[in-house]
Formats: sequence, structure tokens, C-alpha cells
Amino acid sequence: MKPIQGSFLSGYVRISIEGHLPEMFFQSCINQSIPVWNIKKEAKDKCSGNIKLEHVQLIKRINRQHRYKIKFTQKKGIPFFFNRFLGKKELIFGLIVGIMLVIFLSNIIWKVEITGVPKDLEEKISEQLTSYGIHPGVWKFTLDSPGDIQRQLEEDVPELLWVGVHKKGTTFVLEGVEKLIVEKEKVQGPRDLVATKTGVIKKMYVSKGQPKVQVNDYVEPGDLLVSGNLTNKDDEEDSEKGEKKPIYVSSEGEVIANTWYELSVTVPLKTNHERLTGNQVNKYYLQMNDINIPIWGFRSPEYELSTIENEHNAIRFLRWQLPVNIVKSTISEKEHLDMERSKEEAIKTGVEQAKKELKLQLGSDVEITSEKLLHQTIENGKVKLKLYTTVEENIVKEQPIKGDDKNKKE
Amino acid sequence: MKKWHQRIRPLLRKYFDLPSDVLLELPRITMIGQLHVYIENHKGLAVFTDTELRLKMAKGYIQIQGSSFVLKTMLPEEILLEGTISEVKFIP
Repeated sequence: MKPIQGSFLSGYVRISIEGHLPEMFFQSCINQSIPVWNIKKEAKDKCSGNIKLEHVQLIKRINRQHRYKIKFTQKKGIPFFFNRFLGKKELIFGLIVGIMLVIFLSNIIWKVEITGVPKDLEEKISEQLTSYGIHPGVWKFTLDSPGDIQRQLEEDVPELLWVGVHKKGTTFVLEGVEKLIVEKEKVQGPRDLVATKTGVIKKMYVSKGQPKVQVNDYVEPGDLLVSGNLTNKDDEEDSEKGEKKPIYVSSEGEVIANTWYELSVTVPLKTNHERLTGNQVNKYYLQMNDINIPIWGFRSPEYELSTIENEHNAIRFLRWQLPVNIVKSTISEKEHLDMERSKEEAIKTGVEQAKKELKLQLGSDVEITSEKLLHQTIENGKVKLKLYTTVEENIVKEQPIKGDDKNKKE
Repeated sequence: MKKWHQRIRPLLRKYFDLPSDVLLELPRITMIGQLHVYIENHKGLAVFTDTELRLKMAKGYIQIQGSSFVLKTMLPEEILLEGTISEVKFIP
């Protein structure tokens, strides 16, 4: 039976032989070791049997000696089925359109789900999303990557502390965490203002409390600047006499002092860096495994130097991810800049850099009043600088007056 | 030479107990009731009709008679016949 097995897969035909002693034709088939099955004698000069599709050519060759009349009466098996199917153009067309439609619909966003935030914020977010073009019915490839959307949302909706954006099939899931704006807890009740840094006081604006220092005083960290105890010496005496309670306020004010920082920076004399020129070209590929099939953007730009950024978008079929990606690759032109500076220029940039760093460290409301170059050396093509800067900044820190302190301070 | 061959084969069969269909070039016929006949080791088809199948052997023919015969498979030296079998006859 083995030679006949699988004949449905490879296809078989039923042939009808007409002529004198038709069964002898099958005998000669067997002599050529062509398997034949279901042989039936239908009439005296007519006999039919099945043979495999692959043997049809051989049978024609055999018949050259015999001159029988061969008719193919039935064609069965997958090859014929497939051919018949291919013959029906409308059916194939329909099938392709159907698959395309399913792929198309699988890559559409059907639902935008926002979780983890109250209703009013949810509405705000969904409004914001709509303005980015994210709403049910939009095609997935036209959207930015989830990371970008996340960043943009966090920027545009300040109430959001964090938002997680991801695509889950045809659903766009946003998981938000609301920012609870907690007012920085102010030291309530009576308090003093003390210094945080060593410095010389430049200006004082005290709106509440009693200043204990004066302009041009030298203070060290922890020194009392403004006292919340309003009781005067005279009053104190009174209080001692008359048991008058001391008056405390929560002092407020700004004490601007000159502080000093020593900074060291290293500036190379030769620099090179790359920067994007702004020229860029987008290309789209269909990626399967390692094969890229360009869809859009066939010409490679003639950039001397370039960086390529690839963004992958997987195509989905129903709930499965197909091993096919649409890749958007952005080729940006970049240029290489070599710069050589003189010593003076290097020092100048070094000073600028140091000031910038200092401002970053201290905050924007400080003012660098002066800087002085203490030391400079050139080593291995680098200029090492030591700077001495004077900064005007607020050195106030609030400190509550506690029960114990109250007595101690007097 | 051929005579010597043919003489030694029955002896081999007798003393070494080897299957006779291989040694003596005889067909092996397996029947399942009236439904099937399975014939191996035949020497080719002589006649096949709806009611009769005649196969060559080394010596003579096998004739199988019955009705509504279909050759279910036909391979070199192997035939499976299906139908209603009424008799199996050896014709010298």
C-alpha cells in the first residue's frame, strides 16, 4: 500500500484505457514499476485505473508502443484543487482583500484606555491625546512611539506625575499617576532664620522677626540671622518682673550674602564634536527577519556623515504579532567640527563653563558677582583652571523655636 | 544446470525449513473470506475482467473467478483483488 499513500497530496488521475486487452496496459505500467490502483474493467475493451500525477508523462511514453486510447476521466488531489482555486480569480481576490482588511483592522487603535486617574483628569488626558491625533480609529503607524507620547503627555498635563503608555493589541493603554501637589510643609509657628553657608552679608530684607546680624557681618553655618523672639531686652526685664510672656513670631526674610567657591575646570585646546545639520530623509521598509524591502524612499541621500535612527512597528494579525515590521528609518546628516582654540579662548570658555555649572548647582536665583583666575596650567593639550568666584545668594534656612530653645536663646 | 537447481530446492525446503513460496517461485495467496485476495509472487497479469482474474505463474496460471472485481492495488509481483470471490483455480 505504501506507494499509494500520500497520493492525495501529490495528486492522482483516473485514466480510462480503450483498446484490445486494456488490462495489459496496466501490466506494462507495473513492469515500469508505476503503481496502479482501483483498476476496474468497465467493458470488454475498456479499463480504468488510478495513477499518480507524477507518472502521467511515463504513461504517455509507454503508450507509444501500445497505441491504446487514453482518457483522463478524473483529476484528484491537492495540486488540482489548488489549480482550480487559482482559476477562480474572484475568490483569490476576495481572500487577499479579506486578509488585508484583517491586517488593516488589526493595526488600528480601537480603544484608548486610561486608568489610574480620576475622571476629570481622564477627560483632560483624552482631550490632550486627541490633539496629538490619538483616538479610536487611527492607524497605528502614524503615531509617535509610546515613549514620545509619554514625554509629551507629561509635559502638557502638569497634573500627571507619571504616565505609562503602551499598545496592547488594538488598545492604547495609558496608566497615569496623578501628581498630588503637596505644598512644601512650612515650618509653622515660631521660628528663627539661620545661615546655611559661610559668607558676608550683603543685603537683608526682613519682613518678620528681629534681625540679629547686620550688613557686612561675617556669618558661619548655623548662625542666627533673624530671631523669632520679639521680646526686647527691656521687655524681658519687664517680663521677669511682670511675668510677661515672650512674643514669638515666625520670622520671614531674605538674607543675601557673599559666598565663595573655588572651582576647577579643564578645557581641551582641541575639540571635535558632531552635530546634526538638520537635513534628514525618511525611509520606510518592510522588514522580515533580516530582509528589508523598501516601501518608500528609495534614494539614499548623499551625506558624508550620517546617523540612522530606526523605529520599528510590528504588524499584527488579529492578536498575533506577525514577524513583519514596518521600519521607519531616519537618516540625518551630521557634520564633524574640529576646533582649535588659543589659550585665551580656552580660558574664556573654561570660565563660562564653570559659571554655568555653578549656576546649575546653586539654582537660578543666584548672582555671580566676580570671578578670579587663581591658577592655570597647560597639560597634554588641556588647560587646567582654578577659579575663585564670589556669589550672592540667599543663605537663609528656617529653624523652629522649640520649647527648650526658647529659654536657651534668651 | 537448471535441472540441478530445481532438484536442490525441494531438498533445501525439506531440510532447512525455508518458505516454499520463495524457493519454488510459487505465488502466496492470502484470502480474507470472499472479499479480498492478496497474491504475491506472481509473474504478471494475463486476463482481467469483471468476473475473472488470471495471473501467470512460473508454471501455468492461477484463475480466480467471482463477480464485481476491482484491483485495489497493483504493484510489481503484488496484487490485491477486491470483489466477491467464488473460486480459485490452478490451471497448469
